[in-house]
Amino acid sequence: MRSAQAGDGAAYARLLAAATPIIRGVVRRHWSEALEPEDLVQDILLALHQVRHTYDPDRPFLPWLLVLARNRLIDIQRREFRRRRIESTIEAMPETFRAEESNWDATVNGVDGKELRAAIARLPDGQRTAVELLKLGELSLKEAGEKSGMSTSALKTSMHRALKTLTKRLAGPST
Amino acid sequence: MNTDQLIVALTAELAPVRRLRPPAFRTFLWLLVALPWIALVVTVVGPRDDLPDLLGDRSWMFLQMATFATAMSAAMAAFCAGVPGRPRWEHFVPAVPFALWLSVPVVDLLDSLKSGDVAQLAFAPDWICLPGVILVGFGPGAAMVLALRRGAPVHPGLAAFLGGLAAAALGSFGLQLFHPQDASLMVLVWQIGSVMLLTLMSAGVGHRLLTWKAVIGEASGFRRSASPHVKQS
Repeated sequence: MRSAQAGDGAAYARLLAAATPIIRGVVRRHWSEALEPEDLVQDILLALHQVRHTYDPDRPFLPWLLVLARNRLIDIQRREFRRRRIESTIEAMPETFRAEESNWDATVNGVDGKELRAAIARLPDGQRTAVELLKLGELSLKEAGEKSGMSTSALKTSMHRALKTLTKRLAGPST
Repeated sequence: MNTDQLIVALTAELAPVRRLRPPAFRTFLWLLVALPWIALVVTVVGPRDDLPDLLGDRSWMFLQMATFATAMSAAMAAFCAGVPGRPRWEHFVPAVPFALWLSVPVVDLLDSLKSGDVAQLAFAPDWICLPGVILVGFGPGAAMVLALRRGAPVHPGLAAFLGGLAAAALGSFGLQLFHPQDASLMVLVWQIGSVMLLTLMSAGVGHRLLTWKAVIGEASGFRRSASPHVKQS
């Protein structure tokens, strides 16, 4: 870690590779089934990266890592439980008409269906695939992954980016 | 992105980081900011008339030293709370000077009850204490928030509690330099009471001030967007 703090990328890669199984162990012990365990591991790695300046080389590394991992894990899961208390999942989006084409042409919540379709068509390949499979095709992450060959994490990230792009494009002046 | 890819992304073009200084040194830096602020407030408001006499009063000097020691130890403990893996006993160190600080008016009060000294038992509303402590403690408090945000938010509530105690204790220390209030009951209720109130309020906002979101940013938010369709209830 001392080398990593000094900017040695190779030493940092070795450290993170060695720390990952330890973090997985912490996640396994404290996992509450709220989120994907590997997502939690990645979140803890991100946290470690952001606060690596707080490590004191005169002190042992393992207690630093374990306290960091445990606290971050508790924080993420607590937030997730809190979020689930105030949000509910809607399996079916409201439809104006049964026929799919009708919904494409309708204006729902101030968004023109044609405009939305055009915006989706202009998305980069990965993002468009994620939208088409997860939102339009209503496939699960697993099914979408099998169909597209993309990993679950890549699908989630692409979906997130696609939503951000679409929100931005549809909120701004029409292009 | 899988975990191996994340590690590659994190290690690519790794920049050196400025290591967090030891808590004692950070406390020293905090005092370097806090003390001029107190000096400024005392100068602007004007020191109390009997200040030269009080410098020879052992009881008052002990009260002030205990207040200052509480502020320093609480600041150091707050900085320790922002470093993962440090021993837990460090968080309890401020309890000792705080107990000494509290003992001054309490012992005086008990002595007064025994001897029937009504001057020490005098009680009246003194609404200047709370704003006074806030005014003097504002500079140290702001500096404390900035300093705490450099650490890791592993114990946000505790760090904010200790940081709030440090700033409020320093506020009380400064208040004693321009606000005459020597009756034990008054010191206990209005000054130490104000400090405790502000400390508890700080602890209450700790989870909002010291968040992982501020440290990691939106990078960890991808899971939220992964939920298919959500609505606020």
